[in-house]
Amino acid sequence: MRVEIADLEVVRAGRTVLALERLVIGSGRVTVVLGPNGAGKTTLLRAVAGLERCRGSVTFDGRPVRPRLAVAFQRPVFLRGTVRANLALALELAGISPADREARIAEAAGVLGITALLERPASRLSAGEAQRANLARALALRAPVTLLDEPLAGIDGPARRELLGALPAAFRAGGGTVIAVTHDPAEAALLADDLVVLLDGRVHAAGPAAEILSAPPDAETVSFLGWDTIPGEGGVWAIAPGALRVGRGEVAFSLAVERATVVGGSPVVLGRIAGVPCLARLGEAPPPAPGETVSVSAPRSAVRWFPGSR
Amino acid sequence: MRLRTPAPLVAVLALALLSACGSGGSSRTIIVATTTSIQDSGLLDVLLPAFETQTGIRAKAIAVGSGAAIAMAARGDADAVFVHDPKAEAQAVAAGDLVDGVLVMTNDFLIVGPPDDPAQVRAARDAADAFRRIAVAGVPFVSRGDNSGTHAKELTLWTAVGVDPSTLSGRLESGQGMGATLTIASERRAYTLTDRATYTVLRATLALEPLFQGDAELVNPYHAYVVNPERHRGVRADLARAFVRFLVSPEAQRAIAAFGLERYGEPLFVPADPRAREEPGR
Amino acid sequence: MTLWDGVVDAFRLLGRGDPYLLDVVRRTVLVSGAATVLALVGGVPLGYLLARTRWPGRALILAAVHTGMGLPPVIVGLVFYLLLARSGPLGRLELLYTPQAMVAAQVAIAAPLVVSFAAAAFQSLPDELGDLLHVLGAGRMRRLWLLAREARLGLLAAVMAGFGAIVSEVGAALTVGGNLDGSTRVLTTAIVLEASRGEYARAIAFGTVLLLLVLGTNLILTAAQQRGR
Repeated sequence: MRVEIADLEVVRAGRTVLALERLVIGSGRVTVVLGPNGAGKTTLLRAVAGLERCRGSVTFDGRPVRPRLAVAFQRPVFLRGTVRANLALALELAGISPADREARIAEAAGVLGITALLERPASRLSAGEAQRANLARALALRAPVTLLDEPLAGIDGPARRELLGALPAAFRAGGGTVIAVTHDPAEAALLADDLVVLLDGRVHAAGPAAEILSAPPDAETVSFLGWDTIPGEGGVWAIAPGALRVGRGEVAFSLAVERATVVGGSPVVLGRIAGVPCLARLGEAPPPAPGETVSVSAPRSAVRWFPGSR
Repeated sequence: MRLRTPAPLVAVLALALLSACGSGGSSRTIIVATTTSIQDSGLLDVLLPAFETQTGIRAKAIAVGSGAAIAMAARGDADAVFVHDPKAEAQAVAAGDLVDGVLVMTNDFLIVGPPDDPAQVRAARDAADAFRRIAVAGVPFVSRGDNSGTHAKELTLWTAVGVDPSTLSGRLESGQGMGATLTIASERRAYTLTDRATYTVLRATLALEPLFQGDAELVNPYHAYVVNPERHRGVRADLARAFVRFLVSPEAQRAIAAFGLERYGEPLFVPADPRAREEPGR
Repeated sequence: MTLWDGVVDAFRLLGRGDPYLLDVVRRTVLVSGAATVLALVGGVPLGYLLARTRWPGRALILAAVHTGMGLPPVIVGLVFYLLLARSGPLGRLELLYTPQAMVAAQVAIAAPLVVSFAAAAFQSLPDELGDLLHVLGAGRMRRLWLLAREARLGLLAAVMAGFGAIVSEVGAALTVGGNLDGSTRVLTTAIVLEASRGEYARAIAFGTVLLLLVLGTNLILTAAQQRGR
């Protein structure tokens, strides 16, 4: 189901917290809305769900009528009762017959790894377990549009890695459109088919994730995505994370060394380029001493120049 | 997790409770404004059921002070009035609020007090003198203070001896019915003016003795009236007249004469001559 | 002595099933029970609206509710009296001195309490819960019922507060009911009658029965409330 948002504006206490001219969410795809805290991501999700008082329109396959929606809020909430009862209620509200409910609950619980928790009272779940139950509820609904707010918040370690792989597949198998919201670029990169970068209530980028991540359209986006941004003459250099290496290369910079350490099993050098903290991989060379200046470089494809301020 | 809303169930429950409270106003009921002393004597518990049996009319007796009862009539909030305050009754009749008055019964007031009688009320010449002795001795005196017939009579007596009751050193105001007032007087070893009926009913529990009685001033007449239907729309004059007629009917008068005889050894009220209709305010 | 006599009398009267006492107790339960139920039916949804929605008049309604909580029952009784008396605007309805009028006045007394407690109970629920039910497709009534179940702790407190306030009030019951034996006499007005007659032991006896009634009701409701933990 295609979701089209037009002229959306949400104003709170005199402040415009969200303003979109036009945004199209592709049918059957996982679209991730990425942005820092306070950017308006949750507001956008709520507006699509019909929970926000706003100007503008949200249409579903061209129609303003909202279809059945599945939603997993940032804070998982449940009613009194077991996890199974909560999932069953959601399915009942959606009009799923009792016979089908059991099968769907079992399936979703399997994907999210909570089969053992189904008979537990929902109030007795840990944060991670509650979030997984929250997602299971949304998954079981197989709704035409699913809205997920920070789906992997509170889940870490092995469960996180597993879900990062399993979730998109599970939702895609349901055939519905998924709109997920996160502040973590790495998470977005792994989950998204399409990416929307939301900063300060405005869309800075929208399109296939791979494109945007490799070629961010502006300086703010680039900075949020974690690229190193080095001020230069009349503009800003942006270097993709992990692209800098000590030594000669296509685009060169000067790094004032602060210290050498190991990150992710590889030796790196921490320092500043034009006063901006940066990290460069060391490779085979001996580590430079603190206070030294070394030449670092990145391949041309990993460097972008944005003319204009900041 | 029960899934259906209970709204229909709750509504049925509420309606059931409401109707179980019993029927409220039906077409043959009247409101009779009366006094607490009449109600406290228990006489109405005998008369009203008999009235309903005989006529099918249900009389709702609302007991307040005589003054308040007459005020209810003046607003048109009652159909009949059964009180004992001749002065206020006369004013109401003159104002046109009350009509068709009859004398139903009489009894008398007594002055009661502590058995040792420090104010020497026993030796008083008349009722006014008894009150003067109480004022002079400065002993405690409990007043109803509630605009009742008894209270009105008490004030008349204070006026007769030229005493402003608010200046009495020992005066207490109960603001309540005669029974509570008597109990207070008993506890505080005080004097008070009471009607014979209430005193007789409670005598066994009180540490008070009758100290003065028999003065013509202390006669306590009870009258019943119909609230004037021409002044107040909605008054059920026909039904009210039936009630007033009933009170002076031979059956009711006999019941009044017998009331209290068995239990207390003396009647609490003296029925009026059933054939005579006196105007109040003698 | 009178106090102790009264308490003993209470059990004696109850033990032998004194018809007068039982009639008065039954009426007390019916009148105050009906009033509590009606106050809940109107008050819980209103409490829900106050907790969950935001409209311009909300502050005004909240202030009115809080003021209503502090109104002396006798004033409420007086207002209803003036409305329902023959000389009043609704005199034609012949409702004065009936149990129905007492129920109406008691609803007016209990409703502000119920609304206030209910609003607090709903407000203590996470905001997302109502949103979730809404998005998942629960209709308004269904949502109210599901959230009320979640808020049962606070709502049962509302029931206890409302019932407790009206079963023990005397001002409205007396003014609007008239304390008529066999039709509008309830425990509190019966106590007033006995006290004004000077029958203090009997008044204490009835008072003891009233306390037992309130205690019993609260035991049942508290047990129901705590069962949900």
